[in-house]
Amino acid sequence: MFDTLCDLCVLNGISGDEEKIRSYIISRISGKCEYKVDNLGNIIAFKKGRNTPKNKVLLSAHMDEVGLIVKYINDDGSLKVESVGGVDPRVVFGRQVTVGKNNTIGVVGGVAIHNLSKDERDKAVPFDKLTVDIGANNRSEAEKIVSLGDSVCFKSDYIEFGEGFVMSKAIDDRFGCAVLLELIESELEYDAYFTFVVQEEVGLRGATAASYTVDPDYAIVIEATTAADIPSADGEKSVCKCGSGPVVTFMDRSTIYNKELYNLALDTARENNIPCQTKTMIAGGNDAGAIHISRGGVKTLAVSVPCRYIHSPSCMAKKDDMKNSLTLIKLVTEKLYNR
Amino acid sequence: MDKKELTEILFKLTEQNGVSGDEFCAAQTAASILEKYTSDVTVDDFGNVFANIGKREEGKPHIMLDAHIDEIGFIVTYITDNGFLKISNCGGIDRRLLLAQQVEILCSDGRKIFGVITSTPPHLETDDKKAPKLEDIYVDLGMPKDKVEDIVSLGDRVVILNQPCVLLDDMVTSKCLDDRAGVLTLIQTLDLLKYEFESLNCSISVVLSSQEETGERGAKTSAYKINPDMAIAVDVSFAKVDGDKKDTCGIIKKGPMIGISPSLSRDFSDRLIRIAKEKDIPYQIEVMGGTTGTNADAIGITRGGVKTVTVSIPLKYMHTPVEIISISDIESSACLIAEFLRNGVKADV
Repeated sequence: MFDTLCDLCVLNGISGDEEKIRSYIISRISGKCEYKVDNLGNIIAFKKGRNTPKNKVLLSAHMDEVGLIVKYINDDGSLKVESVGGVDPRVVFGRQVTVGKNNTIGVVGGVAIHNLSKDERDKAVPFDKLTVDIGANNRSEAEKIVSLGDSVCFKSDYIEFGEGFVMSKAIDDRFGCAVLLELIESELEYDAYFTFVVQEEVGLRGATAASYTVDPDYAIVIEATTAADIPSADGEKSVCKCGSGPVVTFMDRSTIYNKELYNLALDTARENNIPCQTKTMIAGGNDAGAIHISRGGVKTLAVSVPCRYIHSPSCMAKKDDMKNSLTLIKLVTEKLYNR
Repeated sequence: MDKKELTEILFKLTEQNGVSGDEFCAAQTAASILEKYTSDVTVDDFGNVFANIGKREEGKPHIMLDAHIDEIGFIVTYITDNGFLKISNCGGIDRRLLLAQQVEILCSDGRKIFGVITSTPPHLETDDKKAPKLEDIYVDLGMPKDKVEDIVSLGDRVVILNQPCVLLDDMVTSKCLDDRAGVLTLIQTLDLLKYEFESLNCSISVVLSSQEETGERGAKTSAYKINPDMAIAVDVSFAKVDGDKKDTCGIIKKGPMIGISPSLSRDFSDRLIRIAKEKDIPYQIEVMGGTTGTNADAIGITRGGVKTVTVSIPLKYMHTPVEIISISDIESSACLIAEFLRNGVKADV
């Protein structure tokens, strides 16, 4: 799973520009299941198992990641950008990014700290004061390489370090994609549906359409969620912890989860000695928000890997949590087919 | 050297770390490059590198060419119960860019350990986004305290990771171009003059000073040791970026910025300007109202006083890990300094 995760994380695919992720996934699943790409760019896959179950079960993950988009080229050849999805400008300032189809390298800069007033030095640099610099001398030089609307992505390696940690950009939600690939490439007991969806980060848009199309009885969203187990956040403010297993939530900002499935997940974890945790704050949201209100309503569960510094170029998650998530997802899914 | 060679040497210099007070790796690398031009290269206890060229004689001016070898960074001050590091700054850190930066701990045994600076999750965010205080951030090594303590010691330096990279044309980005760009300029200066050392009517000490970022301390001790007649401090200065006021900055690719300031020798500034005009070398004037914020401030008041000037490479995004310079500015700066050494040194100083 981790080789796949590495492949997926280093590919670029901000919301609305998921083509590279889609191609990679198609190259992996083609011949192993039936699939189609819908009008929004979602991949909707169906894999036959040994048996046909009573219920239609959907597993879903999103392909897109947060990033930036070029909205203007300054006279001096530097680029003005806007965030795509929830990006804190403080995690992009002062680093390299890649711009456009050819992954042109640029840097995110602004006025040097020395040339600011004392007041300005203490403030985060807002997006309208950041520029992406590709080294162009003027607008016409920049225009040869960059077009308005080009995607700007974090530039980050995939690194394994510390005690079983992985660091990369886009673990949210290439982790989910890696889990789906793992399942599609394995022998399944029952027929199952898989959706790799677009545009989660800009409002759960891909999942809205894909879940309508699949029309499932049950859905499991596989995600990465904010872990704030850092010294500056004590007690409930840590939300969830790296190393304490997959996260199953009763409620977040997008969904009040189906109680039956929530309990089923916790019980399954307990029965199988899989560490599992819930969130200690009502925070965040994911595609469950769209899926659980699809058509006449879908019983939906989200299983997430705890992830520090999510929506930054330096997301950190633990390999054990990812492995345990995969195990839990398999076990819970099996219980849904003939429920 | 051509642009390609200059870029290669620059990246060799920036890849080596040299946070203030711990310049050894960068100093050694620079010293080994300087050895191509003279056998008289030393590194002193303070971390300053000296490369002497030409015999020092009565009536022949001795010129100090200075650039600083240190770079901004951090120092480990504490390990928390859950294995996170608290850090303090070495030099003027831009706190606005720290969150979720990838860093490397430079351990005392030579190991380099990967880490990430903690960032504030959105649910803990107050309305107004601030640059974090250093007290509020930590370095996350993904390890418990006992493991961290086996590897990391208090006092170890920390640098932000960044791969040097060529952008369009001859624009390059890297960490610590402040002031490895200056170091490269001095290397290129020697390269331009390498067949003429004998015929110069001056002797030269190239000095790569330590601890500029923490208060020009290396320059103070090295200038005392060298006791020069004249000195050029080669550092970087602000190239205009989007949002800057026009009158405070130079322009990238428009050549060296020659300093004029009450604390610099006006005669020296004028000589450089004259040479630039005569030899058709692009240049810009950088006027500073008081002191310069460079090693020139310390060198100028060494012993009984030294005639000092600044030559600065225009640089974008100063004190970020993504500083940008143009190699052409290195070339023209080196050209200007070389022409000064050839023709501008008068015996009367």
